[in-house]
Amino acid sequence: MNAQLWALAVVGIVVLAAACLEAFRSRRARKRALGAVAAPAADPYILYFTGDGCTVCRTHQEPALAKLGAVRIDRVDAIADRTLADRFHVYTLPTTVVMSPEGRALHVNYGYTTAPKLERQLAEARGSAMQAATA
Amino acid sequence: MATQVVDHSALKVNQTGIVATVLVAFVGSAFYRPALLLIPLLAIVLLVGTFAPQLALFKQFYFKFLKPRGIVKPRPVQDRPETHNFAQGLGGVFLAVASIFLLPLPVVGLALALLVAVLAFVNLAFGYCLGCQIYFQLGKRGLIKAS
Repeated sequence: MNAQLWALAVVGIVVLAAACLEAFRSRRARKRALGAVAAPAADPYILYFTGDGCTVCRTHQEPALAKLGAVRIDRVDAIADRTLADRFHVYTLPTTVVMSPEGRALHVNYGYTTAPKLERQLAEARGSAMQAATA
Repeated sequence: MATQVVDHSALKVNQTGIVATVLVAFVGSAFYRPALLLIPLLAIVLLVGTFAPQLALFKQFYFKFLKPRGIVKPRPVQDRPETHNFAQGLGGVFLAVASIFLLPLPVVGLALALLVAVLAFVNLAFGYCLGCQIYFQLGKRGLIKAS
């Protein structure tokens, strides 16, 4: 029984360490990617990094993006367009980036992101775009 | 590389099989040590299934038994099977390494096997596939042809 308990403790520590590492990596990548630039547009839009082998993209992310309605979504193959993926520090798929009309990254989401969260981020982006226009 | 239809129910049954087998081996070995033999057996099942999908035990159980009887409903998704095969192979390799450690260092062997079960469970419950992410990273670095 002792070996089982020790193994359980080891796995617990490994899982905890992996979760901390993932949180750190995601925070660091987000910090670096914020403000990165891509093509400007008339309205805020979403850069959607995906790939052929990304299952969650098909089963979760794409249905969530479809719920957003009339929003421009630029689909980017993260493997084919490595330069753009590296600019936004894409280390996992899917990655979604909410871009301002000037083409600046406002919100970067690594991993699956729900439709309400993206809607909230887009509303914020629209709000700051309106503020900038009236200023 | 083009996508094809992958039945995700088969993948889920496979992940359930991995979690259940490791848990039985883990808990069972506390009372009956030969239960540890399930871990090398599972490693063989996963590795053989990676290279010869028609011999993938859990998937075949789904295709030959669960699906025809309507016990588990099919869930076809446009996907790439190589990613999942890679993840399964990686699980098999980890279990093979775990098997080597089971006799001299049972804590390491059990921990590695349990880690595979945890990752299979995370994939089963939350859809996060670590093996698939590693596949993506290798593809991004040009180490495997991932796109």
